[in-house]
Amino acid sequence: MQPNRLLMSENMLPDLLSALDIVILERLEEEDSFRIVATPPQWIGQFFPEGTVPETRVQPASIFPFLQHFLFDADHSWSRKDPRPLRSGPWTEHDSTGTPLHFEATAVTTHGHRLLMIEKLGEEYLEWHAILQQARERSLQHGRELVGHRQFQAKLGGMLDESEKTRDDLLSILNQLRVPIFMTDAQGCVSFVSQQCQQLLGRPQEQVLGTSWEQVCHFRKEEKALLQQMILATPDDRERIPLHLQVPGGKSHWIEIDVKDDPRDPERKMFFIHDMTEIYDLRRSLKEKAKFHDLTGKSKAMEMVYTRVSQVALVDTTVLIGGETGTGKELIAKAIHFSSSRKNNPFVAVNCAGLTDSLLGSQLFGHKRGAFTGATEDHRGFFETANEGTIFLDEIGDMPLTVQASLLRVLQEKEILRLGESKPRKVNVRVIAATNKDLNEEVARGNFRADLLYRIRVARIDLPPLRERREDIPLLLESFLSQTRATGGKQVQEVSAEAMQRLVRYPWPGNVRELKSAVEFSVIHCPGAVIQVTDLPPEILDPTGAYLPDISFISDQKERVLIALERAQGNRVAAARLLGISRATLYRRLASLGIPTES
Amino acid sequence: MVQKKICMLGAFAVGKTSLVERFVNRVFSEKYLTTIGVKIDKKTLSVDGKEVSLLVWDIYGEDEFQKLRASYLRGSSGYILVADGTRRLTLETAMALSKTAEEHLGKVPFVLVVNKADLSAEWEIDENVLAGLSARGWLITRGSAKTGQGVEEIFLTLAERILELDR
Repeated sequence: MQPNRLLMSENMLPDLLSALDIVILERLEEEDSFRIVATPPQWIGQFFPEGTVPETRVQPASIFPFLQHFLFDADHSWSRKDPRPLRSGPWTEHDSTGTPLHFEATAVTTHGHRLLMIEKLGEEYLEWHAILQQARERSLQHGRELVGHRQFQAKLGGMLDESEKTRDDLLSILNQLRVPIFMTDAQGCVSFVSQQCQQLLGRPQEQVLGTSWEQVCHFRKEEKALLQQMILATPDDRERIPLHLQVPGGKSHWIEIDVKDDPRDPERKMFFIHDMTEIYDLRRSLKEKAKFHDLTGKSKAMEMVYTRVSQVALVDTTVLIGGETGTGKELIAKAIHFSSSRKNNPFVAVNCAGLTDSLLGSQLFGHKRGAFTGATEDHRGFFETANEGTIFLDEIGDMPLTVQASLLRVLQEKEILRLGESKPRKVNVRVIAATNKDLNEEVARGNFRADLLYRIRVARIDLPPLRERREDIPLLLESFLSQTRATGGKQVQEVSAEAMQRLVRYPWPGNVRELKSAVEFSVIHCPGAVIQVTDLPPEILDPTGAYLPDISFISDQKERVLIALERAQGNRVAAARLLGISRATLYRRLASLGIPTES
Repeated sequence: MVQKKICMLGAFAVGKTSLVERFVNRVFSEKYLTTIGVKIDKKTLSVDGKEVSLLVWDIYGEDEFQKLRASYLRGSSGYILVADGTRRLTLETAMALSKTAEEHLGKVPFVLVVNKADLSAEWEIDENVLAGLSARGWLITRGSAKTGQGVEEIFLTLAERILELDR
């Protein structure tokens, strides 16, 4: 059977070429000339004058300039022994209406015929174009995004540089501020530590960063709890807290810490450390200077007293302490005793005023059972109780003369005789006496034995009245307030400036005892933490001086005149009246005392 | 009338077709249409009173999909290298294409156009690099197919240089 071969009819080739949009040209022997094979598709007519396609010879390079150089390559291809199809690649030309048309040429050789096929590209080309268009648009978009990212990265880099610069500047400022600072993260681990803080802690930052603050800062257990409490407190409830920081090498610092929230993250905390060690040491040294045993005051007058106390403590003589009532004579006696070699032995204080001679004699020297009515058993007196120690005889100026005689014997013989006994007993007692009276006057009046006076005033200490050491008043106030706080009373912290002014100006006839009483009064009346003027006792408040005692007791003439002027609010006539002198005398006195005569 | 073939060379989407459209038809489209193969346009210029017909071969942009076919360069009297000022890498492509063109055409006149001068605020191309190329004898112009800035001058300058060689 014959194979079913396709026989191309006369019209079949033109139909096929038309369907494929292909024009086939055959290379003629004449150079640059081609003939069109079969009837070409109609579109080729657009490229010829008046749309007429020549039947004989055509020159494709003149129709399509693109082919000018392709034909050069095609000639090479056709002349090869084993020619292969050579494709031109697509090109675009515009037709007479300006519409772009896309073509591709292929040079082939078949049966010795050199053919040039020009294909008008259609849908496949458009699909290919669409794919490439999409790919390139994506590529462009990707490129734009990359540029955007680069720009953003550059911007971020700039911001980071700026931020690091700001951070460095802030660090420099922090280090210059000399305030040790450290910061913790939400877990309480140190995330930043300033140079000052590293120095204070005695540890480099490598040992501190990432470590819990509790391991970095060594506090006592209760202090650590207090700081923890501050960390957990709300910002309004926080306050600066004093702590004692232990650092490596056995050193320690007295510090105060302020805990603040990081404004950007309240979980993170900032710790501002104020090293108060120097101030603490200074305060301690000031306090030590201002206090001597239980005595308070740093005035020159008190410093002289402290010196005298230290001197007499070294010897074992009798001492006479003078001073107005309430100046603290017993405290001086105690200071002497506790500074002396007798400090580990008894200190016995006896008030000699207001007792009958027999009663006082019995109390001082003791008695034998039956010595007097009511003496039902043997009694040991204060001298025996104070044996090897010190006896303080307050208000000795009021001691009855008979007792004075007994006392003199004790001082001379170092022995006592109990009432009702005949055999003296040896005692080794140091006698410290005190009085607010002028004992010389008492001797002159016959109320005090001169020989006893000479015996007891071997050493003398005169305590200044409070009005002569007003600069000690704030210290005394602080001392009394802290005593009040310590005893669990009201937590009154301080005295207002105005109240302090009143207290300093007040003459304090009752001296320190009166001041202490005034503080107690004020604390009771004070509703808050600060004593105000209105909390003070009435005698300090009353400007008329109705509550004030007579000023005639004030021994210092200038002081007396100044107080009189103050009470009279500068009125010279009224001041003269208060002083019991004439106005003329007052003016003379003002001039002699160097006080301005005009108000 | 003298006819001269010139080629437009450059990376894709640098604006080669837009420059030709602006030069030949005085139009510009914001829409990017990629070129496949070659687009051929003609334009007649008057250079020093002499008419010259420029046959402009707008060759597809070089990228990973399409590489330059050296045969397209054959017979070219000169070429225009186009780079996109907002894309630094397109200058590198232009420099590489210049090398290829020189290998196939020898030392023919060419102009480097840094296109998209209207977007100069977004330019990535370093002026120092351009200054370096100028120092090597490259003729560099900044142009914009969008605004038409420098477009006529680019083609005219290249045509002048080509004709200078004919004298």
